[in-house]
Amino acid sequence: MSQQNASHGSDRIIGVLLLSLSVAYGFEARSLEADFLADPLGPKAFPLLLAAALGIFSLYLILRPDPDPKWPPRNVLLGQGLMLLSFVVYSYALAPLGFLLSTTLEMGALSRLFGASWGRGLLAGALLAGALYVIFVFGLGIPLPLGRWWPR
Amino acid sequence: MDVFTSLLHGFQVALTPLNLSLAFAGTFLGTLIGALPGIGPVNGVAILIPIAYALKLPPESALILLAGVYYGAEYGGRIASILLNVPGDAGAVITTLDGYPMAQKGNAGEALALSAISSFIGGTLAVIGLTLFAPYLAEWAIKFGPAEYFALMVFAFSTLASLAGKNPVKALIASVFGLMLATVGIDPGSGVPRFTFGEMKLYDGVDFLVVAIGLFAISEVLTLLEHSYSGSAAQMKVRTTLVSFKTFMYSLWSILRSALIGFFIGVLPGAGASIASAVAYTTEKRLVDREGTFGTGDPRGVAAPEAANNAASGGAMVPMLTLGVPGSGTTAVLLGALMMFNVTPGPLIFEQRPEIVWGLIASMYIGNVMLLVLNLPLVGLFARILTVPRWLLVPSIAALSFIGVYAVNNSAFDLLFMTGIGIVGYLMRKAGFPLAPVILGLVLGRLMEVNLRRALSISGGDWTILYASPLSKALWILAIVSLLFPWLMGLFASRKGGRGSGER
Repeated sequence: MSQQNASHGSDRIIGVLLLSLSVAYGFEARSLEADFLADPLGPKAFPLLLAAALGIFSLYLILRPDPDPKWPPRNVLLGQGLMLLSFVVYSYALAPLGFLLSTTLEMGALSRLFGASWGRGLLAGALLAGALYVIFVFGLGIPLPLGRWWPR
Repeated sequence: MDVFTSLLHGFQVALTPLNLSLAFAGTFLGTLIGALPGIGPVNGVAILIPIAYALKLPPESALILLAGVYYGAEYGGRIASILLNVPGDAGAVITTLDGYPMAQKGNAGEALALSAISSFIGGTLAVIGLTLFAPYLAEWAIKFGPAEYFALMVFAFSTLASLAGKNPVKALIASVFGLMLATVGIDPGSGVPRFTFGEMKLYDGVDFLVVAIGLFAISEVLTLLEHSYSGSAAQMKVRTTLVSFKTFMYSLWSILRSALIGFFIGVLPGAGASIASAVAYTTEKRLVDREGTFGTGDPRGVAAPEAANNAASGGAMVPMLTLGVPGSGTTAVLLGALMMFNVTPGPLIFEQRPEIVWGLIASMYIGNVMLLVLNLPLVGLFARILTVPRWLLVPSIAALSFIGVYAVNNSAFDLLFMTGIGIVGYLMRKAGFPLAPVILGLVLGRLMEVNLRRALSISGGDWTILYASPLSKALWILAIVSLLFPWLMGLFASRKGGRGSGER
């Protein structure tokens, strides 16, 4: 049967990562000390319980893993990586470039990842950014940055 | 104060122009979000929270808006199910079984109309149930001590674990992960900072909104890139959106039974609209499907799941409002939203902030009527929205998520943190970890710890107080039974079916 050959590596790796998280979290919790004791448990009991629970569950995951999920092919992974990169750049670009410019560029890049041409993506991005700016700033009264280059 | 007067006060709140327009905006956006495959009610509610927050709406108005999105989405989900055979959200999966065949036979309009009416009946009956039961449950729950509360939360996590996803252990891991996130920040009991690594931004704790939007919306966008399928399917022609009186009467009993089933399943912690519609459908199939027409476009097969999933979303409000313990991902997000507005749901809310609960309940009566109007004559409008191309829709969702989070704190740190949580959410989805328990853990974590410590303070450190009272004993037993339930069922099935399917 093909099911028997299915590999279980993903869950084992996740299990090991979670187990290390529970150990690290547990150690950090053990070092917590309160200056005064308002209650018999103090700040560390609940976190220690959680660390123990996560430890047990992740051991179970290592011993009884599910078959591996279908991880996306390389071209999709590349796309997802580019998308995440664009999110990071967008996060840092919002304040200096301003909402209108950075959102137009970000929308253009994302639309491109979803198969639209640069021209269409940028045009749609500019329209959406403009519409959202009007809705947020003038309609809802929520300020959005214009950027350092904007003449004022 | 009796229920009727309370409800009347609720209508005074819900009928102010601001709240009426928010109910309309919420239900309209809800239908839209439900109709679009890919974004479900959780994403919709999460993305709207920062807007409600930044607008400085009073808590009852914010809740009216956000809840409208929630129950409105159950109406909208059916549109794509019927027209495209692609469920608009998780609660509408079952509706494809008979909805799409009905549309293929040329009865798309009738299927849409019947499902709208079923949704309305299910949704309204659930609000009536909420009106009648919630005050009593709240009155009863006031007697809960910290030990009972702690046991109740354990019960909520264990039912969620046994129902959400295939592997209960993965759901438990997700719950613990959420609870761990909740421990970050200053410990309310002793003032000690925990797990902050000296980062001042983490002293107030992990921002609920950032986690909710990252976990659901950003991970969804990453998932959608994987399934960038080729365009939307051929659009069905919708001629009329009317259902004959005969077909309606033919389905009426199915609608009423399914609404009842949906409401009670919705009340159960952990079980939401998708389970309710599946149970209602199989029940109806067993009860009334004598000619074997279910699955081939039987109107009752469209009516039953739609009545049930709408009733379930109303039912899910009961534990969220009365106990402060939400039963699903979306109600957990709603609860988190209320906490952002410094409102703690629970039994006391009925006495302390009646305008919030009763305003919400009254608005749900109004909202369901609005939804019926939106979903009958205007259904064509929503159907046209299904043709919006992916390259436009998905980037817009991403942009809205970023603006929403940015609008609250103006911080790039939050956006990066949200992206990080989005990666975690994506990996969880892929590896079969349910997301709802994380949000439930994050929302309930503080409360759970506070109640545990309070209980142990009362008993002077004696752990047996946690299961001392009969009520807490019952809750612990229920928690253990519901956790072992899938395992026991599996054991039973494998004994019956031989051991061939066992592992190795």
